[in-house]
Amino acid sequence: MSVDPLVADEFVTFPLTVDGVPREVTARWSESLLTVLRDRLGVLGPKTGCGHGRCGACAVRVGVGPDEPHVLCACLVPAATAVGATVETIASLGGPDGELSDVQEAFLAEGAVQCGICTAGFVTAATELLERHECPSRTEIEEALYGNLCRCTGYGRIVAAVESAARTRRERKDPVPLTTRKLTASLRTGPEAAE
Amino acid sequence: MTGGVGTSVRRPDGPAKVRGEFSYAGDLAAEGMLVGSTVRSPHPHARITGIDTAAARAISGVHAVLTSADVPGDLYFGLTLRDEPALADGVVRYAGEPVAVVAAVDAATARRAARAVAVEYEPLPPLTDPQQSLTAPPLHPDGNVYRHVSYSCGDPDARGVVTVENTYRIGMQDPAFLAPEAGLAWPTPDGGVALDVATQWLHSDQTQIGWATGLPPEKVHLRLAGVGGAFGGREDVTLQTHACLLALATGRPVKFEYTREESFLAHRQRHPGTIWLRHSADADGRIVCVEGRVLLDGGAYASTSPVVITNTVTLLQGPYRVDNGRFEGWSVRTNNPSCGAMRGFGVPQAAFAHEAQLDALAGALGMDPLEIRLRNALQRGDVATFGQRFDAPTPVREVIEGLRAIPLPAGPARRAPGGVGRAAEPGSVRRGIGYAVTIKNLAFSEGHVDESTAEVSLCDGHATVHTACAEVGQGFVTVAEQVARTVLGATTVEVTQPDTLIASAGSTSASRQTMASGTAVHRACAAVRVRLLAQVARRHGLDAAGLTVVDGTVCAAGRPVTPVAAAAPGQTLRATEHFQHPATYPLGSAEGGMYVAFSFSAQRAVVDVDVELGLVSVVQVASCQDVGTVINPTQLLGQIEGGIVQGMGLALMEEVVVADGLITNPDFQDYLIPTIVDAPEVVSTYVTDPEPGMPHGWKGAGEPPLCTAVPAVAAAVRDATGLPLPAVPIKPEHVALGLGAAPTVTWTTPRPAAPSRAVNIVVDEEARDAPGTMAEEGAPGGR
Ligand code: FES
Ligand code: FES
Repeated sequence: MSVDPLVADEFVTFPLTVDGVPREVTARWSESLLTVLRDRLGVLGPKTGCGHGRCGACAVRVGVGPDEPHVLCACLVPAATAVGATVETIASLGGPDGELSDVQEAFLAEGAVQCGICTAGFVTAATELLERHECPSRTEIEEALYGNLCRCTGYGRIVAAVESAARTRRERKDPVPLTTRKLTASLRTGPEAAE
Repeated sequence: MTGGVGTSVRRPDGPAKVRGEFSYAGDLAAEGMLVGSTVRSPHPHARITGIDTAAARAISGVHAVLTSADVPGDLYFGLTLRDEPALADGVVRYAGEPVAVVAAVDAATARRAARAVAVEYEPLPPLTDPQQSLTAPPLHPDGNVYRHVSYSCGDPDARGVVTVENTYRIGMQDPAFLAPEAGLAWPTPDGGVALDVATQWLHSDQTQIGWATGLPPEKVHLRLAGVGGAFGGREDVTLQTHACLLALATGRPVKFEYTREESFLAHRQRHPGTIWLRHSADADGRIVCVEGRVLLDGGAYASTSPVVITNTVTLLQGPYRVDNGRFEGWSVRTNNPSCGAMRGFGVPQAAFAHEAQLDALAGALGMDPLEIRLRNALQRGDVATFGQRFDAPTPVREVIEGLRAIPLPAGPARRAPGGVGRAAEPGSVRRGIGYAVTIKNLAFSEGHVDESTAEVSLCDGHATVHTACAEVGQGFVTVAEQVARTVLGATTVEVTQPDTLIASAGSTSASRQTMASGTAVHRACAAVRVRLLAQVARRHGLDAAGLTVVDGTVCAAGRPVTPVAAAAPGQTLRATEHFQHPATYPLGSAEGGMYVAFSFSAQRAVVDVDVELGLVSVVQVASCQDVGTVINPTQLLGQIEGGIVQGMGLALMEEVVVADGLITNPDFQDYLIPTIVDAPEVVSTYVTDPEPGMPHGWKGAGEPPLCTAVPAVAAAVRDATGLPLPAVPIKPEHVALGLGAAPTVTWTTPRPAAPSRAVNIVVDEEARDAPGTMAEEGAPGGR
């Protein structure tokens, strides 16, 4: 993915699709997709935590060519490889009609958000995880999210949010009687509900 | 009340945050904005013999290049001593010190211009050893000692049957908030400057910007931008002054956003330190005497070093009754990175050391680690070594008993040590269990005024709450909303963005904002309620004294009169209230105590350690904390879990490695913070004994979990390995190679405290001893 230093500083204009909208951008070849999104296109959902692929705050879903779209650190993707790409940021992840997605809802309900600078990245990665695994184990959750750092929450509420979103999804597909669900919900409201 | 105090209300800023629409300081932009860049010293210590900015200025797109010569006001700033120049003043004292700042049309041009600033340095030998700092020639006109603290209580020569002593070391921890520093400044029509910035303390920034710009405070307008974590690291000024100076110089908006590396260089770290402790106890484990000495490396500039050292020294006693003792400490200047506030503020260092000592005493006497702690637990009415009486609830026993009631994790570990790769060899994995109990002071201390102001208005059931309290992620916005619902019966609540249009709320630090700003909001809400009830009384011909607000409804003798939302149609009722804690006094003052309040916390850590490879997995941390009252169960749990994981980071992996004054790991590749794979299961319980004088009996909760996790995790690793491990972070090589000396245990002839010795504390001005002599007293060195 390295770029010839001679052309790295050259400006080029290229198309890409961001959150379903075809865009055209002029950027240096050497710039990262994160810089292209934030500084050139004003797409601010992906955040800059480290700029070197270690925190996941910049996570977006990128599709290039025929490959399955994949969650990547936008700060590690050179603009040169984003030519013609389809990029889905956190703005693509809401539910229908501007509602929150089940994952977003679970992050709020479980207290998985404090300062929130990591949240877009976590929601992006967790959404992809739940598309692949309907019922992820704690280990699978860890494997999917260990590229995302959170300095505030200590991760406990984040795990709880992912587990709760998975549960809600399963229940929606295979509804349990309402009374049982209510009972589970009320059991989860005290301070002990957390663990 | 729905959404009131005691319920798990969701964060009001949460929906925007999960949608990625919340605006952080790094997202700021303005029409015609320039981008700032900082020229930093590559040397930890050097004389500046020349700065040539001509080449940088000549670059097209560069609007300004400023050095110390261009600072119109007073060059010097600082949270306590004002010993730090806004831009280097002929000498640089740490690697990363700002020398010049540049504003240009875009980030790339600004960076290019910063590189083009030619600074000539004459390198000087860096002073990087804090022990040498005490005797070395001064690095600064203000000298090398930020503060020396020394006091004794009772008879420090008293002895029990056993004495244990050791020297402990704590590494430098980075706050590592996830959003690097950012802010946007612009000139205002009144000839002043405005700044939107991610900070912990708007009014402190305002004052310090005023010094450098020469502007009066009313012409320096600050507003909080979205803050991505803080943990103490945003208490000091970094880019604030630079952005304002450049905005004033160019007449344009100027934005700064640090890179991660710059963030490491620019903000203050947790003080690394060396602590020598000697505990003497009776045969039944009762502490007879404690002697301690602390040396904290404050780095190049004072920041809060003079305050942090007092916290460390005075809280060396831990949450235990200590009648006899002698305590001394220094925070000193070196050419290492400057250290200041970080969550825990000097206490994690003390806690790591005193808890290791308690375990050593228990080990020597063959006692259970919790039993020895229970036997020495502070009680209400006891007097601290520093002379203050614990006259509020002091539930040390209760947190220990609460912890003991939490069952141990059942069954084998879910995962092996060694991260996602789970590199451990099952045959060499041992389980360990460790305990720790700590005391943390809450709010500002030693006479620093701890206050806040809130303005609350209510119109048709909609409340607006305005304070200068910085929301940095901790959830003050939620607490403010809960208070407005409970006290006022508001249907909807808006917490406005904090700014300097209202009086100072102090810093979002020291676990203090619920106590200070929360109480100011509570008072303002209560004042608005009085007005509301007076109106309702008049309108309905009732006696205001008989009216209450219950669940959004004004009631008379329990019967609903009117919903709050319809009580005074179209009218806005408003009140501004101030809150200030009772005064505190310097160490040794006869007038009163040093601290506002305390919180106590007990934790048990369970770890699995691959003793061959030195890999540690923290399986579970159980916690019981004294929290006054539970305002929001989910948010409280978030503070506990987050604090525990940060403390675990300090115990096992986080260390800013400084070699010859240079940070060798200023990035998340080499500075490791815990990931989701490292995070333990947390079980959290609480002791709720209301704090007197506080609404609902609330008290701060953010720092204790970190303070306790450091010693608890370290104790568990000691238990698993049998190694003394007197230093944190405990890295794999310390375990694998068994580095670090064990405490010295001496059996002594008991010598009761001489009755003639004063019970009062005695503060010495002069150093009794130098920290360099610790080893000569027979204390083995750490690593
Ligand atoms: S900003 Fe991309 S991984 Fe940290
Ligand atoms: S919520 Fe602050 S970094 Fe995750």
